[in-house]
Amino acid sequence: MSRALPAAIVLALLALLVLAPMAGLLHLGGLPGYEAADLRFWDNAYLRRVLLFSLWQAFLSTLLSVLPAILVARAFAMRGELPLRRLLLGLFALPLVVPAVVAVMAVVSVYGSDGWLPLGRSLYGLNGILIAHVFFSLPLAVRLLLPQWQAIPQHHWQLAEQLGMNGWQSWRFIEWPMLREALPGVLLLVFMLCLTSFAVVLTLGGGPRSTTLEVAIYQSLRFDFNPARAVLLALLQLALCILVALATLKLQRLPEVEIATSAPARPASALRKWIDTGLIAAASLYVGMPLLSMLLDGLGGPLFKVVGGGGFWRALVNTLTIGLAAALLSTLAGWLLLRYSAHLAHCQRRSAARMVELAGSIVYVAPPLVIGTGLFVLLSPHVDVFGWVYPIVIAINALMGLPFVIRSLGPAMRQTHARYHRLCQSLDLHGWNRFRYLEWPLLRRPLGLALALVTVLAMGDLGVIALFGSTQTSTLALLIYQQLGAYLIPQATVTALLLLLLCLGVFALLERLVGGADDAAH
Amino acid sequence: MLRIEQLEFGYPGAERMRFDLGVDDGEVLSLIGPSGSGKSTLLNLVAGFLQAERGRILLDQRPIQDLAVAERPVTMVFQQHNLFPHLDLYTNVALGLDPSLRLDSGQIESVRSALARLGLDGLERRKPGELSGGQRQRVALARALVRRRKILLLDEAFAALGPAQRSELIELARELVREQAMVALLVSHQPDDALIASARTAFVCDGQVAAIAPTRKLLQSSEPPELRDYLGSK
Repeated sequence: MSRALPAAIVLALLALLVLAPMAGLLHLGGLPGYEAADLRFWDNAYLRRVLLFSLWQAFLSTLLSVLPAILVARAFAMRGELPLRRLLLGLFALPLVVPAVVAVMAVVSVYGSDGWLPLGRSLYGLNGILIAHVFFSLPLAVRLLLPQWQAIPQHHWQLAEQLGMNGWQSWRFIEWPMLREALPGVLLLVFMLCLTSFAVVLTLGGGPRSTTLEVAIYQSLRFDFNPARAVLLALLQLALCILVALATLKLQRLPEVEIATSAPARPASALRKWIDTGLIAAASLYVGMPLLSMLLDGLGGPLFKVVGGGGFWRALVNTLTIGLAAALLSTLAGWLLLRYSAHLAHCQRRSAARMVELAGSIVYVAPPLVIGTGLFVLLSPHVDVFGWVYPIVIAINALMGLPFVIRSLGPAMRQTHARYHRLCQSLDLHGWNRFRYLEWPLLRRPLGLALALVTVLAMGDLGVIALFGSTQTSTLALLIYQQLGAYLIPQATVTALLLLLLCLGVFALLERLVGGADDAAH
Repeated sequence: MLRIEQLEFGYPGAERMRFDLGVDDGEVLSLIGPSGSGKSTLLNLVAGFLQAERGRILLDQRPIQDLAVAERPVTMVFQQHNLFPHLDLYTNVALGLDPSLRLDSGQIESVRSALARLGLDGLERRKPGELSGGQRQRVALARALVRRRKILLLDEAFAALGPAQRSELIELARELVREQAMVALLVSHQPDDALIASARTAFVCDGQVAAIAPTRKLLQSSEPPELRDYLGSK
């Protein structure tokens, strides 16, 4: 009971935060400017174009990210001895914590008019969107696919060598079956991320020809004052996300074999080594070059002008407040849900445990901008939604962070519960003492990681804050967007660099403070 | 006959290992010894997964130590991961004949008869995940049978099985070795396995063959002292 009640409260709040806006969206009739004709989707060329472009850019981004990622992940797997391998894999983790708007600035600093590889005006539109999406998704896909190769048992490589398999046969009988297990999940995840990408499309989209559903929702609410169209777009986006999430649930499978970290025993030819090294170098350049270029541009930019500007410090404080508050809320909610789900799993109620965890990942189906639109529609007739910006932005960002909390904390929490729950019962260790002597020492590392990750994600969010924020309630991410809108590119670059450094600093600090030293809890 | 002569190998930062021994046709020689003594290293050297720095491996007087792994007349059976989990039994065995799976009718027949010989007929289309541990090791032995390589290396191949299944499979392996006039090396931590499998057993310690003798005699021996410690005998 002590576990069920807090989890039930969290689930009820989640339901309220997600289902109430959905109800608002579905309550079309009450909206000002609503016309039945708005629902005749295929008659509306704009909506059709937005939908097709959303799908097309997500499809291309997925293809351009995941196909090279297979080659790069394989190269990393085969070159276990490569110098700087750990450092390069660390570089590939960086885009996961770099705010989208910072990544956009990094991309602009390389491919913009004054960049190292100027693309001129053609950067804005599909090209820019693809470049930025690949910048994010290629490293993510590499990091998700690499463990598949590492999970191939050493004996399988030895067997292949003994049976005289050539490269193609090894791929066919050993590598592809393992890859095939993870590939649909990775493809769908990247597709979903690109489909719901907001900051990249907003800043690099370049007008109505390159607009996605997410950005069109924002434009409908903030520029065209057309809530009815925003609702229709949000419903479309919701339907797409539900389809992708269902496909992910259906297709995502775990490897059947036991995990055993291994490196291939087969000696590689010199040519193969050169090709692998070249692939890794090219991918590292693709990811590292924009960050390096932005760093150099930012250091040479108008730092004092940006820092001395009135809005900067207010935006900094807002960024930290939103980030930390959302992370604390998200981690607390995740902790309560996981504690209950671990208890259910321990009582052999595995389906119920899985349902509780899935409920925490609801944001996968209902993107933040859709929830934001629903709240906007629901609340705007009754209150000034722009006056409620902080609670709304914090709550939606906490919701967005919940899947990350569940993913990083879940396995450790389940394991701790399974191993020590009976011991705790026999010692009558519960409540604060159980937390102090058992859970905190064993779980502080994943807890620190979850807290740090969610803080940084919320600090860099440009979706919800763009919908509800203003100059007075701006965050650093929104400030960058405002500077970009005013064509203050050098200022935007400096702000982006400062946001990046702030994110990295906060991430490292929280992970260290909460997670403890490397050897803690062992 | 397999002869291993002054075969040397060293892991970085560890003492060098040096092996000498001989195994007759049709014989299963058991290797016992403490963990880390070099038993599996010796098997990996014979299979070619590790490259010896010095010394010779002779099969019927012919040196094989410089041959590539696939060219060595060796089949190795591990404790686990012998089978590809996504392929059925027939394919797992057929891969032993030709990794491109282009088998002629004679080869198809030999896969079928090997499976039947190992008591697996009717299970050809099953996946390894649907079999018991003992059945999985039988499939690995069936593949060894179709490959017709003269050296069979069993690296704790039956260690994960219960006593009854273990002795049954050891007996089976011994029969196959005798029938096909193979030579086999069996690494095991269980002295009882050696009693079932081998007329002779070698005690490996500190990277060398410290003693080799008829199995029963070796297991009752008190020399060298490391053997006494290993067996826990007074």
